[in-house]
Amino acid sequence: MATESTPTADDTAADAVADAADLSSDEDSEIRLRGVTKRFDDLVAVDDLDLTIRNGELLVLLGPSGCGKSTTLRMIAGLEVPSEGSIEIGGEEVTETLPQKRDLSMVFQSYALYPHKTVRGNLAFPLGKMDVDDEEADERIRRTAELLEIDDLLDNKPGQLSGGQRQRVALGRTIVREPKAFLMDEPLSNLDAKLRVQTRSEVRSLQQRLGTTTVYVTHDQEEAMSLADRIAVMNDGELQQVGTPKEVYENPVNEFVAGFLGEPSMNFLDPDRLTRSDADDSVARTGSDGSVVGTASDDPFAETATVGVRPEDVGIAEEEVTTAEEAGQRADGGQAYEIDGEVLVVEPLGNAYEIEVDCGDDRVTARLRDRPGAVSPGSTVTLRLPADAVHRFGANGEVIG
Amino acid sequence: MSTKQSTYRHVVDSFKTALGLGESTLETSLAERVVFYVALGLTLLITLFPFYYMALASLLPESSLYSLPPTLIPQDLTLEHYRTVFGPETFPFLTYFKNSFVIATTTAGASVLVATFGAYSFARLDYRGRGVISRGVLMVYMFSGILLVVPMFQVIVWLGFVDSLASLFVTYLVQTLPVSLYMLGNYFRSIPEEIEEAAIMDGYSRLEVIFKITLPLSAPAIVAVFFFTFMIAWNEYLFASIFLQSQSVFTLPIGIEALSSSFRQVWGQIMAASLLTSVPLIVMFTYLEKFMVEGLTFGAVEG
Repeated sequence: MATESTPTADDTAADAVADAADLSSDEDSEIRLRGVTKRFDDLVAVDDLDLTIRNGELLVLLGPSGCGKSTTLRMIAGLEVPSEGSIEIGGEEVTETLPQKRDLSMVFQSYALYPHKTVRGNLAFPLGKMDVDDEEADERIRRTAELLEIDDLLDNKPGQLSGGQRQRVALGRTIVREPKAFLMDEPLSNLDAKLRVQTRSEVRSLQQRLGTTTVYVTHDQEEAMSLADRIAVMNDGELQQVGTPKEVYENPVNEFVAGFLGEPSMNFLDPDRLTRSDADDSVARTGSDGSVVGTASDDPFAETATVGVRPEDVGIAEEEVTTAEEAGQRADGGQAYEIDGEVLVVEPLGNAYEIEVDCGDDRVTARLRDRPGAVSPGSTVTLRLPADAVHRFGANGEVIG
Repeated sequence: MSTKQSTYRHVVDSFKTALGLGESTLETSLAERVVFYVALGLTLLITLFPFYYMALASLLPESSLYSLPPTLIPQDLTLEHYRTVFGPETFPFLTYFKNSFVIATTTAGASVLVATFGAYSFARLDYRGRGVISRGVLMVYMFSGILLVVPMFQVIVWLGFVDSLASLFVTYLVQTLPVSLYMLGNYFRSIPEEIEEAAIMDGYSRLEVIFKITLPLSAPAIVAVFFFTFMIAWNEYLFASIFLQSQSVFTLPIGIEALSSSFRQVWGQIMAASLLTSVPLIVMFTYLEKFMVEGLTFGAVEG
């Protein structure tokens, strides 16, 4: 499932898989939060949050621990009541509706399986409160178990299952309900790294097949990037940015978002330490593609307090000065800034090299595909930062331009 | 694996290792093992000797009971004391047994019922004054029983329960509830809240969640509370000796005491009656123990 999740893509995918289609819901289940605030005594956990989760999309709430993302999810679930603001699900006001009446299902970080019930009992439990007869219930359990490949575990108790299997049962318990929306609170954080990546793609394809609106909470930016239709980045109870993974990665609105997404994270530098490369000057004046960064006389960093550049955009300037012609052939069009520094560490990662460079007050991490010959710990290098890969941030941390 | 279970395993394993019985390859020196065996032997001696002597005295004929030095290895044994105890003319054992059983069962049942709801509210529900109430209840337990005899007696008189088993029911319930609440409350708190929230998300009301999820998971604690209350009510002497007057409502401890107040030397009979009194508790414990040890929350959450 590599396709973007649009409603039409969901429909066709769902048609293709009959079982999944039977379990999917097609009622309107847009979740809308308006000015939602949650206070615990003096602590403001969520501050005036406006957010819409569109019908059928998978929205990831991303942020560091304590940023209010779990509280937001719990307010959608009804396990917490907002101090202010309103929540609507499918056009219906549910701000103070009991969680039992919201027709949502939730996967908890710890799975929260019922340990005294078998897997079948766990899957059957939510159906016990619904208007389904035994035959239909059995059928739903069978379909869900097949979908998640846990049909041979139905008579086991949770204690006999591995972490990954428990995870599946927890997912199954949410799916079997056919609820309006899935809420997932860091569902993969207890799995080991390999299983986490595998389950992640399964969750993604499952959600796309079912086409059920999903709110997914995580602190893992990589998980968020790979799963989400849209990501909502939160910090200190406030929403920072909402957008597709590509949008928030490429056009972060502030330093926080820029630094939180990406591994290794973005390098932040004092703009005064950067010098323009010669190639930059010459090309900037000619303006090959019309996107003139600026001429030598007008300072592009006039308002800028910090510049950010992602490790994969950092290059190393060659010893022999390239000709203007060669510079023009570079992917970045030759407009670039340079900074000198001393190499601290060179880490081979197999498919790339990560180089840490000490540039005075700042440390810069560069991720290079090939190891440049001259680079070894202790040597001095000139780092090359392509102009269009440089993000500029004002004194308040907001992006400029 | 739940912490409780693993702690239990760990303790068992370390004892096995220390005694050289475990499969663990961890070496224990002879000196270490000697220390453990000596400690174990002392513990067993101190706890089991009184019990052994009770059993022995109940089987010895009157003559050897009062010999000096005391008989520790029996020469000749007799069942005469047991015959006397079961003979209705000196000791209506069955009436006492029935009284004790009725009072212990009803108190334990009521204690479990009341403590379940009380402890759940202490552990899970949020309301004003919860901390004060939950700690205040435990304070009651800090008072020595004898301090409460007079006020309790006034309450019993006021309720019109003097010389009836109802007086003991009320007293024992009040006496045991603090500990029951404490034990159950702690156990409820150890059940991950997420399990209950999951059930709420699955559409069940708070009350349904308690009965379908929390209580089944708390079986070990509930059994422990039942047994604890049963044992207190079964063995209690002080209040029973004050509130009860007629032989028809006597419980076993009072009955045994009444036996000794006669002018004859009756140690053999008292020991026989005492042994018979302990047997139900021992039987009950061996049966209930397996429920208490089983860690039912195992596997609920990742661990």
